[in-house]
Amino acid sequence: MSVRLLVLDDDDGIRTSLSMALEDEGYAVVAHASAEDALQEPSLAEVDVFLVDLMLGGMDGFGFVREIRRRSDVPIIVISAKADTHDIVAALEAGADDYVTKPFEIKEVGARLRALRRRPPMAAPAPASPSGGVVVLDAAHGPLVLDTLAGRVRRGDDEVHVTVTEYHLLRELAESAGRVLSRQVLLDRVWDRGYFGDERIVDVHVRRLRTKIEADPSEPTLLVTVRGLGYRLDPG
Amino acid sequence: MRPTLPVLGIRATSAASFALLALTVSALLAAGTYLTARHYLVGQREATAARQAFVDASLVREGLLTAGASVSDVLDETSPAPGAVVVVNRGGQWFTSSLETGADDVPDRVRGLVADGTAARAWTVVRGEPAVVVGVPVPAVGVQFYELSPTTELESTLRTLAVVLGSFALVTAAAGALLGGAASRRVVAPLRDVASAAAAIAAGRMTTRLPRTSDPDLAVIVGSFNTMVEALDERMQRDARFAADVAHELRSPVTTLMTSIDVLDAAPEGDAERRRAATQLVRREVRRLHRSLEHLLELGRLDAGVLERQPEPVDLEELVRHTLAETSRPDVPVDADAGLGPVLGSKAQLHRAVVNLLDNADLHGGGAERLELRREDSLVLVRVVDRGPGVPPAERERVFERFARVGSRGSAPGSGLGLSLVAEIARAHEGWVRCEETSGGGATFVLGLPLAPSSGPGA
Repeated sequence: MSVRLLVLDDDDGIRTSLSMALEDEGYAVVAHASAEDALQEPSLAEVDVFLVDLMLGGMDGFGFVREIRRRSDVPIIVISAKADTHDIVAALEAGADDYVTKPFEIKEVGARLRALRRRPPMAAPAPASPSGGVVVLDAAHGPLVLDTLAGRVRRGDDEVHVTVTEYHLLRELAESAGRVLSRQVLLDRVWDRGYFGDERIVDVHVRRLRTKIEADPSEPTLLVTVRGLGYRLDPG
Repeated sequence: MRPTLPVLGIRATSAASFALLALTVSALLAAGTYLTARHYLVGQREATAARQAFVDASLVREGLLTAGASVSDVLDETSPAPGAVVVVNRGGQWFTSSLETGADDVPDRVRGLVADGTAARAWTVVRGEPAVVVGVPVPAVGVQFYELSPTTELESTLRTLAVVLGSFALVTAAAGALLGGAASRRVVAPLRDVASAAAAIAAGRMTTRLPRTSDPDLAVIVGSFNTMVEALDERMQRDARFAADVAHELRSPVTTLMTSIDVLDAAPEGDAERRRAATQLVRREVRRLHRSLEHLLELGRLDAGVLERQPEPVDLEELVRHTLAETSRPDVPVDADAGLGPVLGSKAQLHRAVVNLLDNADLHGGGAERLELRREDSLVLVRVVDRGPGVPPAERERVFERFARVGSRGSAPGSGLGLSLVAEIARAHEGWVRCEETSGGGATFVLGLPLAPSSGPGA
């Protein structure tokens, strides 16, 4: 079954051409011009990835991203005409996983989609983990467990809701626990972005992840910043 | 080549003026003081010399009245002031109390007056020294008495006074120069603040402002400077925003074009439906790009205040009918008042304004239902009426802003500039444009343009 995409853009030309081009790439695409219409989409729950323009009439892209995040952890790619503004950071903070800027080449959108779908949550167990896919990250504040078999994060018996991207980020850090990973390395491994990738993506996701796994996100003890170098996971 | 004089700055000029003024005043004062003092001192010296001469003359008279006394003996008894010399002429014979000074030192004029029996006083020079000579006739003993008193002391007093007063004048002038310099530095100091603020602004720190001041003289400069910077800042921000908006507006059609070409590339030879759909997208977006560029160029021209030609009388009814015919809208009815009269302006710009209003009706109002041309006072009103969803009252002014987005654009991508361009053109013609509600639903855009002057009804 092909991957289902929802394209949300109020520009008729972009919406139509992007839908056609993505269909050519083998995706199943539904397209909407407004956030309100998109939220009424009957197959909303089956969408695998959202492609969302930020500037919309009515409810804007940020509102839509927040609304989707409230409902699920499905990957969201933001399409924006403003690459160098705080709009990008705001969209990432609202819960978007990645972004492409207009004008884009369709293969760039394809690359972003592939990067997000490269390692689905139900991944094979990481060979490095001795406990058969279960990594205990933090025992101090109740055991925080990264279950690479189930593709989940748990604290005690409670599931910690992380997005697909946050899960990948946490797993990359866990596989290199105790070692510093630079933003560039994380960008490459989690987002499949090259040398010119936007390091703000990493920072925003680290921040979001901390709010979910740290006892005190403003004083991180598990996912620590190594000034000038990157990030390191210190399992307790 | 003629050498150019160095240009003096405010400070140098001010210091020099102060110095000159101080020097003039102090020189006048010094001269006045000197002359007064000199007059007084000289008068006093003369009086002293005369008094002494009369005392000594009476001593000589009394000495000579005493029988048998010789002039030389009598002269020895006189007690002239130190340095003073007594010279006596008795019957043509000269006697003197000093070896170096004699009858030759008594000026002839004094000698003449005394010989005629009048006391006389004169200034002379004795052996290079200034002196007062007082002559007294003593007829009782047949003697002409002269006393020469040197005034070296007076001269040195006066010289010292002159030096002191002169020095004071110079010191005062120097103080004036310093004061002038300091005062002008104080005056110029705010200018230096202005200069450094201007430099900061030139370097891009647009938040720079001059600090508020309570000095009423400076408040004007500070106020207008800050106002200027604010206007500049606002203008720059507006331009930057506009540039960003332009870039943004151009990105959408470019994105569609790039993507459509990918679709066209990927479409199999046989899939004519898909190829046609992609081609249609390309055509539409190229048209949109073209329109955006046209609007941008037009806006740029209007912003620069360039009138393409001299304003000419334009018959709006004719212009509207031509516009409808040229833009393939021959079916839109035109309802025009008779005898509208021409407006003064640019035919090309007014054509652009009407086209944009028609395009706007196409994009947002399902096409213009009809056009009305009305005469109202000294205005011609062009009303473009549509039966679309209309514009909410709160948005009726905003639609004329550049890149205003009212509601969802849905499937109607305009350039985002069309209506703002109409507003600019209206303004350039000293007219206006506004958005009203069509009675019974829809939007009516009204363009009001002033009639050409001196065009009466039916002209």
